[in-house]
Amino acid sequence: MTSQTHDKVVIVGGGPAGTAAAAELARHGLKSVIIDEAPKLGGVIYRGPLRQTDSLPHLDDNLKRAMTALQTRYQAHSDSIEVKTQTRVLGPEGSNQLLLSDNSGLSRQPYGHLILATGCHERSVPFPGWQLPGVMLLGGVQLQLKSGLVRPGQRMALVGTGPLLPLVACQLHKAGVDVVGVYEASPFAKLAKEAVALLNKPKLTLSGMSMMSYLKKHKIPFKYGWGIVSAQGKEQLNSIQVAPYDSQWRAQRDLAQQVDVDAIGVGYGFVARTQLAMLLGLDHHYSKVSGYVPVLDEWHQSQNHEAFVVGDSNGLLGADAAICEGQLAALRLAWQCGKITESQLSARSTKVKNKLARIKKFRFGFDRFSDRQSGLLSLAQPETVVCRCEQVRREQLDKAIAQGVKDITSLKMRTRIGMGDCQGKTCSSYALDYLHQAGLTENIGVIKPRFPLDPIPFTLME
Amino acid sequence: MKSLKRTRDITPLPSRNFKITVDDQPVDACEGETVLSVLLAANYARVMENDRNVASGAYCGMGVCHCCQVKINAKHKQRACQTLVEPQMSVETLTNRFKEEGIKHD
Repeated sequence: MTSQTHDKVVIVGGGPAGTAAAAELARHGLKSVIIDEAPKLGGVIYRGPLRQTDSLPHLDDNLKRAMTALQTRYQAHSDSIEVKTQTRVLGPEGSNQLLLSDNSGLSRQPYGHLILATGCHERSVPFPGWQLPGVMLLGGVQLQLKSGLVRPGQRMALVGTGPLLPLVACQLHKAGVDVVGVYEASPFAKLAKEAVALLNKPKLTLSGMSMMSYLKKHKIPFKYGWGIVSAQGKEQLNSIQVAPYDSQWRAQRDLAQQVDVDAIGVGYGFVARTQLAMLLGLDHHYSKVSGYVPVLDEWHQSQNHEAFVVGDSNGLLGADAAICEGQLAALRLAWQCGKITESQLSARSTKVKNKLARIKKFRFGFDRFSDRQSGLLSLAQPETVVCRCEQVRREQLDKAIAQGVKDITSLKMRTRIGMGDCQGKTCSSYALDYLHQAGLTENIGVIKPRFPLDPIPFTLME
Repeated sequence: MKSLKRTRDITPLPSRNFKITVDDQPVDACEGETVLSVLLAANYARVMENDRNVASGAYCGMGVCHCCQVKINAKHKQRACQTLVEPQMSVETLTNRFKEEGIKHD
């Protein structure tokens, strides 16, 4: 291996974490390669429009500033950062190489050092009717607003939990959508309890309050302690049932109301995207908030494999934290490569670590508020499909568990859950929660990622 | 042939645009867009029919759920959310190999 190849830092993911890591490495004289599946840097959160546009009337100034800041951060160091967009990582190939695919074919990417910044995806919560066209995840709705510049529906409701609900509701309304209701599963009293945590980020808290007053001004109902029960429609969505949730988030069905809509956004949380980290063999542990996450030291480096994992892919903390984590990993790497001294490492990282600590206090307040309760699992009825690709129904899980299945691999073999095109990314969070609820908490395992992480078309193998 | 109307754009399409076909109907599209954005703009909610004959629309919109697979330029199972449009592209919705060719057991 040539020394040039050996020195190369490969960053998987060009969102806030990956881009911040690349910029920080560049500041200390280290070159890097960012690999991203999208056509543009920024990650799902800060990528912005994919097509040309003169104005973004539906997006708030904070978001526009953050999108610009990320591009500026990259531009300032673009000489040291090679960017491979529309490129997917299929998995490890031999030692110290990744196998990539893009439109022109397969290729290998050698690395000296590896930083994974693969982000997260949304947590699916099955309910009757969730397969109907028109039912979308909240982030999917937002991607159409931010990157597609398209309204996903005309008359929409949002259900779920957390700060994304009011944010997306405002964006939808400003984009011209008739927003007929927003339903937050947690009660307001629980949010009020987190006042101290929220004061760690006063600007963000204020912007949240201004969103709530925007919704009020435009008479968009925002109901705390309410959530989805079911979705109805023949060929596509035309109404949903929503109901008050009790403290365990069990829907009080006798109080359910019908809301006519042609699309909805559902957002009951996220899961860290760790398939590549698992394929590389990093140790993982289970977290209720984020799912399986890699075991890392204070610099976000894995001890059993020298890769760093930064941003939401090691636990859900959001974009501001992801930037800090990317910087910390880059500083540590710069020190390991002899580019900065120990005192430089300590001086610069202390500031970043303090900032990260404040963000965590704020974020943990929201995690407590949005802590998903077990009632959510009982939205799925026995005949409700819980694995979309293989059309596995809840009663099949019940039967398998009753017959003695105690872990997710056995559950997969008995029911075909997680064996379809999405490789369990959509159903496995529910299946894990379901096993936990059945009292199975020890050694239930995880749906193991398979190589290749993304399908390889036959045309690329010719 | 009747053109599909885009009724759900938040901002106007740039002047330099081109056409693709969706289920043999022409529709405006422009550089940088995903196939999924064009489908949603033209009011397509039903996008895919999977191997088990269940129709679905875009669900995660970010390449994870595989619920928006369509046939693009005669190739099955292309994710509409992960494919950028190109001039003269042909997109077919609600179709899959089992539906077209039947299940073969030889």
